[in-house]
Amino acid sequence: MNPLILTIILMTVFLGTMIVMASSHWLMIWIGFEMNLLAIIPILMKKYSPRAMEASTKYFLTQATASMLLMMAIIINLMHSGQWTITKVFNPTASIIMTLALAMKLGLTPFHFWVPEVTQGISLTSGLILLTWQKLAPMSILYQISPSINLNILLTMAVLSILVGGWGGLNQTQLRKIMAYSSIAHMGWMTAILVYNPTLTMLNMLIYIMMTLTMFMLFIHSSSTTTLSLSHTWNKAPLITTLILITLLSMGGLPPLSGFMPKWMIIQELTKNSSIILPTLMAIMALLNLYFYTRLTYSTSLTMFPSTNNMKMKWQFETKQITLLPPLIIASSLLLPLTPMLSILD
Amino acid sequence: MMTYIVFILSVIFVIGFVGFSSKPSPIYGGLVLIVSGGVGCGIIMNFGGSFLGLMVFLIYLGGMLVVFGYTTAMATEQYPEVWVSNATVMGVFLLGLLMEVMLVLYVLKSEEVGVVFKFSSVGHWAIYDIGNSGVFSEEIMGVAALYSYGAWVVVVTGWSLLVGVLVILEVTRGD
Repeated sequence: MNPLILTIILMTVFLGTMIVMASSHWLMIWIGFEMNLLAIIPILMKKYSPRAMEASTKYFLTQATASMLLMMAIIINLMHSGQWTITKVFNPTASIIMTLALAMKLGLTPFHFWVPEVTQGISLTSGLILLTWQKLAPMSILYQISPSINLNILLTMAVLSILVGGWGGLNQTQLRKIMAYSSIAHMGWMTAILVYNPTLTMLNMLIYIMMTLTMFMLFIHSSSTTTLSLSHTWNKAPLITTLILITLLSMGGLPPLSGFMPKWMIIQELTKNSSIILPTLMAIMALLNLYFYTRLTYSTSLTMFPSTNNMKMKWQFETKQITLLPPLIIASSLLLPLTPMLSILD
Repeated sequence: MMTYIVFILSVIFVIGFVGFSSKPSPIYGGLVLIVSGGVGCGIIMNFGGSFLGLMVFLIYLGGMLVVFGYTTAMATEQYPEVWVSNATVMGVFLLGLLMEVMLVLYVLKSEEVGVVFKFSSVGHWAIYDIGNSGVFSEEIMGVAALYSYGAWVVVVTGWSLLVGVLVILEVTRGD
């Protein structure tokens, strides 16, 4: 793509999310969402294959439907409250429709069907932007309307998302689909705690973005999109193999890595609010996630996966420069001792 | 009939939308959009927004739809699909019409309609008072406010339009 056009489009993606996060008028928020959607379409279509076109079309259709639902909720809110300011949404109908619209944007169950297909059809870098940056805007709106969200709907969607994210990822060998299902499950964890303590949603978002950024950058470094090609990284860059192990285990939520921090805090906050069965179920379903992460580590770092002999003696080309990889890796594995600092997110 | 003119116009509006959502060839979709645009202009004018209705005609119908019509005419096939040529298209169109007719009968027969939100059937559409704050019409003041206090909105929408053009050019450029 022409560098000037690419700069303008990336700036508009950034501007769209910033407008959503910084506006106090519902119409501006809707405009921000639409700007974000419009500008990310050419980024998703960078590859110009029919697969990428189909993925971008699916993404556009689902996000546009969600924006329409959001607009309807905004207008119902206007009808009943007479003003356009972002506060908690007092009318239950408007609140429910808004929650469903934002869940469609995030990819929560039962609106999760677009996430694996869209993530699979696009390149790794576009998938990175899709799964990290695009989650910021809807989550910020959910944070702002969190006092008025219907608890039953949100918790149902959250628990089902964790289940679908874990269960759906079990049969996947394509790395982008694995990351998509991981994103669905993490969104489920984030929205489960939203009504009780929104600060933890932001904490989980932060840690999730760092871990997903790390994972995607490690995949980009080794140019691998399947489990099979990931299993050849021991030959290309053994250090990357070790880092993949650590980051995957962190994503699975194992202590003493930083992925444990959000899960621990969320379970603690849920039990403080006298729900015992729910966090137990959530923790058990997170095991499904852990299973396919450890299966990836098994084939990548822990064993030498069966391959033909010419895969075992690769040419050593110049390694790619990946932006910010060392700080990201540190952040996604060693942040657990900093848990008391989460009070700064309030 | 004049008290219920907004209701009638909005029914024609919805039927128009059903007409192009049933996906005939785009040239017929454009034809229906002209009708819907004109009727939408009528609805806005009934609420006192004469300036905005005129904007719909001039910019939407006279600018955007004309360009759309020309480009579709260049790209159309020899026998474009009409509503009655394809069983699927006709079926969807009739289904949409049927649902609209049922909704209209529901609104006309019952005192109060509570589908997603409650409104008092046809009475709600009758215009008894335009939104006038005394001397100035509210709608012209809104447009004036857009260019004074709401300058940021003009910047954002202008930027969105520019990026929209760039995105469309980028998407249709191909390899």
